[in-house]
Amino acid sequence: MNLLARRSSKDKILTLAALATAFALPLVVTSPSYLQMLILLLFYAYLTSSWNLVGGFAGVLPLGHAAFVALGAYTSTLLYLQYGISPWLGMLVGGVVAALVGVIIGIPTLKMRGAYFALATIAFAEAIRVLIENTSQLGPFKVNGPRGLLINLKGNSFAAYQFTSKVSYYYIMLALLLAVLGVTALLMRSKLGYYLSAGGEDPEAAQALGVNVAKYKLLAMALSCFFTALAGTFYAQLMLYIAPQNICGLNLSFEIAFIALIGGRGTILGPVLGALLLRPLNELTRNYLGGLLPGMHLVIFGLILVLVMIYQPRGIQEPLTRLYRRLTGGGNGQDEDTLPKAKEAVKL
Amino acid sequence: MENFLQSLISGLLIGGIYGLTAVGLTLIFGVMKVINFAHGSLLMVGMFAAYWFVKLSGLNPYLALFVVVPLLFLFGYAMQHVVIRPVFKAEKDVREPITVIIVTTGIWYILDNLSLMAFGAEYRVVHTSVSGKIFDLGGIYFLQSKFYGFLIALATTLLLYWFLKHSKMGKAIRATSLDREAASLMGVNQYRIYNIAFGIGTACCGVAGCVLIPFYYVYPTVGTIFDIRAFIIVVLGGLGSIPGALLGGILIGITQSVGAQFMAATWTEEIIYVLFLLILFVKPAGLFGNRHDF
Repeated sequence: MNLLARRSSKDKILTLAALATAFALPLVVTSPSYLQMLILLLFYAYLTSSWNLVGGFAGVLPLGHAAFVALGAYTSTLLYLQYGISPWLGMLVGGVVAALVGVIIGIPTLKMRGAYFALATIAFAEAIRVLIENTSQLGPFKVNGPRGLLINLKGNSFAAYQFTSKVSYYYIMLALLLAVLGVTALLMRSKLGYYLSAGGEDPEAAQALGVNVAKYKLLAMALSCFFTALAGTFYAQLMLYIAPQNICGLNLSFEIAFIALIGGRGTILGPVLGALLLRPLNELTRNYLGGLLPGMHLVIFGLILVLVMIYQPRGIQEPLTRLYRRLTGGGNGQDEDTLPKAKEAVKL
Repeated sequence: MENFLQSLISGLLIGGIYGLTAVGLTLIFGVMKVINFAHGSLLMVGMFAAYWFVKLSGLNPYLALFVVVPLLFLFGYAMQHVVIRPVFKAEKDVREPITVIIVTTGIWYILDNLSLMAFGAEYRVVHTSVSGKIFDLGGIYFLQSKFYGFLIALATTLLLYWFLKHSKMGKAIRATSLDREAASLMGVNQYRIYNIAFGIGTACCGVAGCVLIPFYYVYPTVGTIFDIRAFIIVVLGGLGSIPGALLGGILIGITQSVGAQFMAATWTEEIIYVLFLLILFVKPAGLFGNRHDF
């Protein structure tokens, strides 16, 4: 299917402009600390978009996705520290490991009530975190428990997935983000996407029509976990230090889920919009109020979540999209997901 | 052998208190079919309320019950009425009220961090007339405060059970939990029932908070551990079942306490999570739960 065919020319221009800005940004922003902020912005946008593959489209609420970030980070780091395997390869291995684990967890839990699934993901994430914290040595691997793992500085080495300039990290993350957004778009417009959305709305009806809802949910879970793990490796290579408290904590899991929920899960741009809004807000409140009122940025975060859920449960992308449509002439007032055949049928 | 008996009794006592927290959670689920993710944070609020009461007045922590419990009932009632009800109403006919779960998770986040902001991250301890005193039962030692806590937890659970079974309001609550539309037709204001049920569930946290402070550290994130434990207990006991919650609490308390005899305390946490995942995979309905509830 031609993804661009159904979009109006205004949409295409805007998309191209956004892409161009994203690619050109490091040319303008040269300060490493601002670049770091931008990288983290992209990082969270990527994580929430990966979360969205299962949390948005399969209609479940995973609240323990940090476990998969940790799985990715630890797999690639352990393989690199112990056997010198390039983190690029380790990243892919980590992704596969995470996908497998996600499927194993998903098999019994995805057919349960939303609340049970959410609880199971929380329990699973905490179980992984406590496991890592309690493990000093796992077979040949030195896991180092709560002390975390340090990656030795290698300077600028593509093979070792380390760069002296932050700009390289920026482009890697941007590429990853575009990749996951592309997969999301493909998913939405594919049969898989429609099956998932049917399964989310009315699973019994979907099953009666022969849709194997369970299988598709597991597939979405596998994809989501795979992509999430890739970010784990990226983070490890960016920070050169990982520890279970910060890479497997409930705070990270919740932040990922909350950003997607506030932005609007189940849409392509929702999670990205959420990250665009919330990450800068986070940084600002932490910088200006953090000294006086520690934790204030998290309170604000929680408040925004609650307010958005009460007044705009489909996320801020809904009013923003409506505003955009109105500003661009309101001609193509339909959602781009509606089938074009319906329009032609009416023309008769 | 003596060590084993000691850990058994210790586990039983703390398990009763875990069970009380779980009873509140299971009641809220039974009536509203919603798992209150903020439950641990409400316990934390109860603990801090009791802490400040004792610290500022110097009175016995068990007297704090008379202040903290009504306070927390009102807090829970207000929280349900103001924050959760609009979302709940909007999702009345949806099969999976996920947005309510999200809102309660948000409240969890807000309460924990507000508490962090207001009180700081330090671990607090309050010295009361019962702190540190021990009972000696033929060589087996246990904390007096744990014992009193267990008795109070047991008494509260029995009181709650009696209330639900025999009082008019209790019957209204049970009716709403069985079939909200039918209960509504019988003249029961379902939203008022939800408020009351939530208030009672939160009040249970208040009781637990008061009995915990003589021997448990108080700090802003203490709720998280209890929250997850409460979830595990209600799933083990069966969502919606009060005896199940109490029994489940005792089982978890004993598992943790006896487990600590054989391995480092940090590993006992892991056992609980693994146990939870096992229960979810093998028998999600738990001991006394309804098989169709999930």
